[in-house]
Amino acid sequence: MQANLFENCQYPVRKATIDAFAGVWQRTAESGPFWTGRDHMAIIQEARQSLECELCRRRLEALSPNAVDGVHDSVTDLAPVAIDVVHRIRSDPARMSKSVFDNALANGMTDSEYIELIGIVATSVVIDTLHQGLGLPVPETLPGSDAPPTGQKEPEVVDDGAWVRLAPRDGELNEVGIPRQANIIRAMGLVPLVIQLFFTVMRQAYYISNLPISIQRSQAEFIAARVSALNQCFY
Amino acid sequence: MLLRGSGEFELQGVMDTTIDPGVEHSPLLGQLVDAVISRRWDDVAGFREECVKAMGLQETVDAIAVASAFNGITRIADATGIPLDSGPAEATASMRSELAINDFAYGEKSRKYDHVEA
Repeated sequence: MQANLFENCQYPVRKATIDAFAGVWQRTAESGPFWTGRDHMAIIQEARQSLECELCRRRLEALSPNAVDGVHDSVTDLAPVAIDVVHRIRSDPARMSKSVFDNALANGMTDSEYIELIGIVATSVVIDTLHQGLGLPVPETLPGSDAPPTGQKEPEVVDDGAWVRLAPRDGELNEVGIPRQANIIRAMGLVPLVIQLFFTVMRQAYYISNLPISIQRSQAEFIAARVSALNQCFY
Repeated sequence: MLLRGSGEFELQGVMDTTIDPGVEHSPLLGQLVDAVISRRWDDVAGFREECVKAMGLQETVDAIAVASAFNGITRIADATGIPLDSGPAEATASMRSELAINDFAYGEKSRKYDHVEA
């Protein structure tokens, strides 16, 4: 099944953006190092479902999300621990805390599985938000591959003050040609595939590497800063 | 976060509407961004058309694209607990204190939310 993104869009989305997003969507349907393609699609479905989930709604209304117990309204057969991480990071990123990560590990998820899952959620958030922001429905999920996870060559990572191990800060270029200096570029070092997926869409949407952009740089920074503030993102 | 530090606008005006950030069309861009991030799609449609009239078609697409990009990348930071980079950490120390941005620090969030009895 071919990924058709930005179909019937009445706004001028650049061809390079459409091609990049479609390529990433298609690749997401294939198996990754630690999750199958079918899992990837389930992660995206759960991310969308979190916005309708009663438990997530009650947690959003609580002083602390951790004060509310319950079962998520889910639409897939992903393990409950995976569903909880996906719903939290999609529906309430401002109040993600280390216990969410620790709880995932305590319930059998590896740090690499966690990072691949986060990368898929974050990538789908960019793609879904741009579609909906332009008045389009979110793209249909594809039939994901049932091929077993591929595994990967052990990446070089270091402990450097984050919850997860990071790619080294060595100034080398990452998977899409961005220097590995900033921690946000190093954050998904455990799974190079999701670095490639996420930053392929990020690069097109934020016009990194001098891609053409029609708004002023100060306007782009104003928008970026406002989104970061609304999401209460410290970094 | 990946901000290129143009220094061309007043950071306190990003959220405080009483302060002019010195960015062209910032009131409208702010309304558009707020509606996108809070998923008020009917409002988005209205602000989008206002942006098209005020700024142009491609400019409107690019503005929504930047908001979309940061809606995704903030989740990576929030889910991994990465520290500030050393340069920005030093350069923004007083500003973070002044704007209470330190309340969003991942250690602070974990202290707030991880010790609550259900």
